[in-house]
Amino acid sequence: MNSTTLSPPTQPPGLLRKLANILSILLGSRTAVTGLAVVLFWLGIGLLSLVWTPHPPNAQAFDANLPPTSTNWMGTDHLGRDIWSRVMAGTQVVLLKTRLSTDPQVVVPGGVALWGVIGAVVVGGLLGVNAGYRGGRVDQAIMQLLDALIAFPVIVLYLVIVTALGSGDVVVVLAITITGAPGVARLVRGLTLDIKTREYIRAAETRGESANYIMLREILPNARGPILVDAMLRVGYAIFAIGTLGFLGLGLPPPDPDWGSMVNDARKYIYANPIAILWPALAIATLVIGVNLFADGLREELTRYQQ
Amino acid sequence: MARFLVRNLVSMGTTMLLVSALLFLLLEVAGGDITVRLLGVFASPEQRDSLRRQLGLDAPAWQRYLDWLVGSDWRARPLSAYPLVTTPNPQSGEAEWWAEVAGVLTRWRLVDGELTAIQRAADGTESTAPAQTVWQRAPDGSEIFWGVDIRNNLVQWQRGSDLEVLVLSEAGVRSERGGPQHYIPLRKGIVRGDAGMSLQSNRPVSATIFSRAANSLILAGAAFLLVMPLALFCGVLAGVHEGRPLDRIISITGLGFTATPEFVIGIFLILIFGIWLRWLPATAVFLTGDAILRDPKILVLPILTLMAAEFGYVARITRASMAEVMQTPYIRTAFLKGLPRQRVIFRHALRNALLAPVTVIMLQINWLIGGVIVVEVLFGIPGLGSYIYDAAIFGDFNAVAAAAMLTVSIAVLTRLAGDLLYLYLNPRIRFA
Amino acid sequence: MNLPPSPEPLLAVQDLTVSYRTRTARIQALRNVSLTLKPGETLGIVGESGCGKSTLGWSIVNFLGANGFIQSGSIRFEGQELVGRSDRQLQQLRGNRIAMVFQDPLQALNPALQLGEQMREVLRVHQQMSKAEATTRCIETLKRVHMPDAAGLLDRYPHQISGGQQQRVVIAMALLNDPALLILDEPTTALDVTVEAAVLDLVAELRQTLETALLFISHNLGVIARICDRVAVMYAGEIVEQATVTEIFQSPRHPYTQGLIRCVPRLGTDKNSSMLFPIPGRVPRPDERPAGCLFSTRCQYAEERCRTEAPLLRSLPSGTQVRCHLTEQIDPQRWTPPAEAEMPPPKTSPASPSLLLTGSHLHKAYPVPGTSLASLVGLEKRRSVKAVDDVSLKVDKGTTLGIVGESGSGKSTLVKSIIGLEGIDHGSLEFMGMEIHQPLSRRTLETIRELQMVFQNPDSTMNPSYTVGQQIARPLERFHTVPRSQIRDEVVRLLRAVRLNQTYYDRYPRQLSGGEKQRVGIARALASQPSLILCDEPVSALDVSVQAAILNLLLEVQAANQTTLILIAHDLSVVRFIADQVAVMYLGQIVESGPVDALYAPPYHPYTEALLSAVPEPDPTLQRSRIRLEGEVPSAINPPTGCRFHTRCPRRSWMPDGGQRCQTEAPVYQEASPGHQILCHLPLATLQRLESETLSV
Repeated sequence: MNSTTLSPPTQPPGLLRKLANILSILLGSRTAVTGLAVVLFWLGIGLLSLVWTPHPPNAQAFDANLPPTSTNWMGTDHLGRDIWSRVMAGTQVVLLKTRLSTDPQVVVPGGVALWGVIGAVVVGGLLGVNAGYRGGRVDQAIMQLLDALIAFPVIVLYLVIVTALGSGDVVVVLAITITGAPGVARLVRGLTLDIKTREYIRAAETRGESANYIMLREILPNARGPILVDAMLRVGYAIFAIGTLGFLGLGLPPPDPDWGSMVNDARKYIYANPIAILWPALAIATLVIGVNLFADGLREELTRYQQ
Repeated sequence: MARFLVRNLVSMGTTMLLVSALLFLLLEVAGGDITVRLLGVFASPEQRDSLRRQLGLDAPAWQRYLDWLVGSDWRARPLSAYPLVTTPNPQSGEAEWWAEVAGVLTRWRLVDGELTAIQRAADGTESTAPAQTVWQRAPDGSEIFWGVDIRNNLVQWQRGSDLEVLVLSEAGVRSERGGPQHYIPLRKGIVRGDAGMSLQSNRPVSATIFSRAANSLILAGAAFLLVMPLALFCGVLAGVHEGRPLDRIISITGLGFTATPEFVIGIFLILIFGIWLRWLPATAVFLTGDAILRDPKILVLPILTLMAAEFGYVARITRASMAEVMQTPYIRTAFLKGLPRQRVIFRHALRNALLAPVTVIMLQINWLIGGVIVVEVLFGIPGLGSYIYDAAIFGDFNAVAAAAMLTVSIAVLTRLAGDLLYLYLNPRIRFA
Repeated sequence: MNLPPSPEPLLAVQDLTVSYRTRTARIQALRNVSLTLKPGETLGIVGESGCGKSTLGWSIVNFLGANGFIQSGSIRFEGQELVGRSDRQLQQLRGNRIAMVFQDPLQALNPALQLGEQMREVLRVHQQMSKAEATTRCIETLKRVHMPDAAGLLDRYPHQISGGQQQRVVIAMALLNDPALLILDEPTTALDVTVEAAVLDLVAELRQTLETALLFISHNLGVIARICDRVAVMYAGEIVEQATVTEIFQSPRHPYTQGLIRCVPRLGTDKNSSMLFPIPGRVPRPDERPAGCLFSTRCQYAEERCRTEAPLLRSLPSGTQVRCHLTEQIDPQRWTPPAEAEMPPPKTSPASPSLLLTGSHLHKAYPVPGTSLASLVGLEKRRSVKAVDDVSLKVDKGTTLGIVGESGSGKSTLVKSIIGLEGIDHGSLEFMGMEIHQPLSRRTLETIRELQMVFQNPDSTMNPSYTVGQQIARPLERFHTVPRSQIRDEVVRLLRAVRLNQTYYDRYPRQLSGGEKQRVGIARALASQPSLILCDEPVSALDVSVQAAILNLLLEVQAANQTTLILIAHDLSVVRFIADQVAVMYLGQIVESGPVDALYAPPYHPYTEALLSAVPEPDPTLQRSRIRLEGEVPSAINPPTGCRFHTRCPRRSWMPDGGQRCQTEAPVYQEASPGHQILCHLPLATLQRLESETLSV
């Protein structure tokens, strides 16, 4: 056989076609495109804010509680800082950077929301696939533990975690991970229970493959679609939660502006400057809705594509 | 059926046990040094040590967990020379621990290094008398006595000991000598309704938490009852018209409401109705306990906020479930039997389609509780939510733990209710 | 027909074209379909999957879903045009004049409603009957479909009755309003063979007693042969041939019909004397249909004209309608298999048989979770399903053992135990001289390599995330069958061995047809060069034309590598075709086993006899004995005492004591001929008489 000489390269065309395929799926849904546009808008704003904002976001350079003017497009806050600059910079901690420590400043790329969701997916995914595939006592133990976590109202759990560990980017990442992991685990467990019945899993077992190989190489790759969509929805929840924590005064610490904390501050001056509260609130709402629309559209298109 | 119930109850019990352990672990181990908060940062290590002993914090963590969970009187009773009883304080009504010496309620305290007995008469008046204690000889030769002190601890006094005790009082820290060696804070444990003292208010947690919870219940219950029929109706409507404009409108509205944080919705409502239109009060003012009943208007905006948050979620779940059921072969069969559309939807689809939402809605109670916290903080309503929030901000372990346990119990119980409802609606399980 | 000739047929479909809208295009599911149905007549629609059979059924009641629609043509029913009618008007016909029955009866019934309510509403909506009247009518109709305890049934829920009973209820529901037309879409496909036979008996009986016309849709030629007066053969959305049932089976005129009939395994054939001839290729997808005759891509007679000019459906003097340019030139008698067809190699039996696998007294039970409170706290005795109960078997190297049984017989558990997916409770299993009764996790890599498996469902046999090449390469890597550098060559060699060229190497499973996936599954099993391959219903999910090719491939693989096969099947004709030795299982036991020719001839075990008699044969003239089993398969948690089969045995009364002994005493194996064993109390002489006695009854 001379097939080695005939064998075509395997990688690039498949990958390119895959990308084109995914793109065409995406563009097929009006919902997904709208969501993507909103997310990209905020991503762009965030990247821009790294190099340029109209005014320094933390500088108390103006009179306090100004209404929108031509210099301060959204007005100023109670300390006389430019709100639009702060809203722009507020994107960073959510989407673009996580501060491991503030003194000295250690920053890793990727926002708090993203790292939290990655943590939840990794932890929840591993727990879920183990519970689903191994079954029996392992399943029972894992599910009982997760049931206990799920029994907590999410915000109560946040409050408890933040009370116990103090506030900070890493704690918020941890809180998002802990509150998100049970949901991911349940999803992955359900998918695993389904995939586990497929005959290719039997084929792997009759090859004597280890449980880890089967879980990581045979099961998880086939669960990635729903996991991806779920993860995206969770990014939405995470931004939601960061906002709520900020609003409750437990959010990401200063000096970087944080939308939730901005809402909390503006609330105290709501009679003096009612419009100031609107901007950060709108920022959170649009970004979360954008992420949700995107994930929703993607899910719809993926299920239709599979049919 | 009985089996199902028992299994659920066992699982519920395990869940609660795990939750309590988790809570304890998180708050106790990672909660930092309570003495810093009580004594300030400038106290000496000896002072901290002494205070820690008085609070019973020198006991191992598992011991304190058990004390907190099921009470410490179990282990205190055998040590005490006299039977221990609880009785309400005549003024505040809060429960106090006393020893019963020959039928007389008695406590002890050190006065100038001498042990003094405080006796309470049947009419509630207290009198002081020199202690007629029976000192016991310990194996190491010292003379000891276990008695109840005025702070609800079972205390071991040692005659002639010169161990210094720093007593925290309103006036500051006072040094005392000559007696107390060990403290066992007396409590009945959270499962017996005693959640301990709030560190913030110095009153028993259970004295405030239930009236707070009642406020929250009114708020959350009203929102739940108002939104549920609306959300279910819209969800069914959207599911039946899957893919058509009506579905799009309901779905997108629902998505918008779910994806917008409660505080943002609340703020928009405040801005519109409270500040610009001035139709409704922007914050709730609770001067008296029955303010909610007297002026229901203060609850309109909070309830609307909660409804908006709930609506989207329930409507979307119902829609998905309805749309799925409408695709099933048995609905196809129903249509092919020539049944009118209404009959197919109401007799055949609805019942099956509502199965998924009932369980999910019951799980959703967690979201509702989360929403209640935000709404209570935003509108200043003194409910369970703002209670747990204030406690968490202060670092009040007993209060946070008790409130968290209460919310978790509510969540777990509603889940059980959801399971039972599911059982009732689903003949496949009912007649297995 | 015993009916007076009517001026107009009951149903007349004329040039019907039905399309589905998809995201990118419109797909024509039916093209210019014309057919007529007289009152009381039964028309069979046969064809492979994807040929538009079901769409035809749906379009008659105009129930094509959100994206399907009738593009052109007319459907006249009882003199009225149905195309273009409003939903409300159709509603009055559906369930009333036209009723439908589908494949999976459990899914067709609403799980949340009592059967009585689901039945009564048909009468109450269409005839405005009172509840009492409707109840009486329901009970009458249930009795007509031979449901025991008809009155009690009305209060029950669908999941509380068995699959066969569910299908009877669905049929009864369809008959409530005495419809003029009953459309049955694969009504027996989801059922076991003995249950299928009973339901088919019912349909056949209803045909005689009712004046309802039937449109019977099935992929199974045997079922069609049993039930229908006339048959329409569909291919890729068109009717290619329409004729009476005897014409279709005795002188098929379209090459596709001829091909279909040639590739069906029959009970009468065995692998030494007969062959299956698969049709090459597959049904073209709607977007790749050829320009001329749709069948031209697979037709060995195709000429230039066939590829450019679409043939019309035309009538022949015999009355047969056929859509073929060349039908007059084709003589099926002088047909020879085309060169590229996959044919099995001539069978060579190994000179000296050597034992490969011996199982003795194998037991496997699954614990059943109790349903009562007592069982939860451990007060109740633990119950278990005895899935495999004292089974012994022997397999010679290079031969094929076929295991036959209905669902719940324990055949899958037996195979899972042999390959190690399930451990064996007790008993010994010896493979190539080694004891291998332990589960996979405790077997050596060498033992694992020697036993491989081919699976049932082509859609789940391959991991969708990996290419064909990666999936065949994995066992090569794992078992170090070949050096790492030669893996790719070896994969290509294996692909060739299952007749796939190397362009398949980089394809993903979703780009493959069912038959191709099954081939890859076989290549993957072959990769470790095993001595024994276990096949779990390897062809049951495939279309007949593909089935034959896969069966031939298995035989070819066996001849090339001296591989031993154990094959489970519910289809007795498949086993008859491929196996050397056969074992028949019932409730965890082997009730009869032996060489294939001995097993398919008397003496039979009564259960084997009933199974054989239940097989629908693709021959309308065949008169077989009708042995039907009563009741349902008993629960394996509480198997009957004595002989497991005594509760359903149609021959029990032939025992001298009237069957008392069957109830109390477990039978032992009797040796009918060398290697042919029957687990029955009846004397061999009596069993020998079974066939002839039946015929005289």
